[in-house]
Amino acid sequence: MSVAWLEVSVAAQREAADAVAEVLGRYGHGGVAVEEPIRPDPEGDGYEIDLTAPVIVRAYVPENGAGRRRLGRLLRALWHLRQVVDFPEPEVRTLAEADWAQAWKEHFKPHRVGPFLIVPPWADLPAPADGLPVIVDPGLAFGTGLHPTTRLCLELAAELLRPGEAVLDLGTGSGILAMAAARLGAGSVLALDIDPLAVKAARANVRRNRLNRQVKVAKGTLKGPAGPFDLILANLSAPVLTELAPAMAGSLAPGGRLVMSGLLVGRAAELAGLYTGLGLQLLGRRTLGDWAALVLGRGQK
Amino acid sequence: MAKKVRAVVKLQIPAGKATPAPPVGTALGPHGVNIMAFCKEYNERTAAQAGMIIPVVVTIYEDRSFTFVTKTPPVSDLLKKAAGIEKGATSPGHQKVGRVTRQQIREIAQMKLPDLNTRDLEAAMRMVEGSARSMGIEIVD
Repeated sequence: MSVAWLEVSVAAQREAADAVAEVLGRYGHGGVAVEEPIRPDPEGDGYEIDLTAPVIVRAYVPENGAGRRRLGRLLRALWHLRQVVDFPEPEVRTLAEADWAQAWKEHFKPHRVGPFLIVPPWADLPAPADGLPVIVDPGLAFGTGLHPTTRLCLELAAELLRPGEAVLDLGTGSGILAMAAARLGAGSVLALDIDPLAVKAARANVRRNRLNRQVKVAKGTLKGPAGPFDLILANLSAPVLTELAPAMAGSLAPGGRLVMSGLLVGRAAELAGLYTGLGLQLLGRRTLGDWAALVLGRGQK
Repeated sequence: MAKKVRAVVKLQIPAGKATPAPPVGTALGPHGVNIMAFCKEYNERTAAQAGMIIPVVVTIYEDRSFTFVTKTPPVSDLLKKAAGIEKGATSPGHQKVGRVTRQQIREIAQMKLPDLNTRDLEAAMRMVEGSARSMGIEIVD
């Protein structure tokens, strides 16, 4: 499923750029992009902003009836603004999703994380393929195995999972953690995500890896205690980990462990406190760059 | 070794709500940046400022890695908050949609100083006043 978008761009002088961005931001989908004209420093990582060149402000609306009506309102608002602020006529063009959503793929190459070998489907499996192969096409979902939070979760899953265990992967994204758990010998894995694009990507990846019998992908989240699960993998974000704390703590089997990440190091103590307050024990904490992962456990009854 | 800069992109997007759709995807995707990795980083770092537009300047390097810094909300966002309005005027030359005091202009200019290319508070205030006028916001003493 590919969505087309209409792009409106205005090449405005610096003084007008903020007013133009305000109008574009009011009607555009999800904000505006502003491209600064730069002169990169040929020697290294510095650059200079070219203060004389125009700033290009861009906004987007979906190419459908509602989007076109929005575009009409946007262009009228820009016309009014041009009566009081000087800037050139806006340009409008159509963009197909394929134009921008695929470019990063050529830089996603096979790589090793812990015992796993993460491979995009368009790359050949390196020979000899030692390691547990996990084929991942994330589409527009999160989880290539390159991000520190994914790496931390993969490494901890490999250390903690015992064969035959029931696993929950909450916020599965591309399905990478769920598939890694299955490769480690989990008895069953439930992979949940609220984003339909993620569910679609995860299902396709599970099929690609022929893990359909072990991994079930569903759209949704934990609304309350479920399972129980022996291992919960939750690479989410601090606000979501906070919101779901009672549901997750209540879904751990006796002796079960919870691996959570997606949180910055600065938030780790607060989240550990929240979960220990719900009766779990803090079993470990690991960091990579600015990111932290926590391991919590429920005692044996 | 220092890395070579490929592009610098500024995004004005709602705190904690970046998604791979435009404008994030269209701004970063063509440069080869892993769009979802950016969204996760941005959303986690701006989670506490939900409800505000938090501009972010993304520096993309030749090896497709990126770094970013978040900035103070845009002047227009601060003006709307100060005037207690949802949006600016649709025809700013003719329509007044709200008012702010000179003291509020001063406070906004003060807050924006670190992100502007000036240390001159008066100059920053004139810029904020210009933005207010272009949005149909009246300035009162």
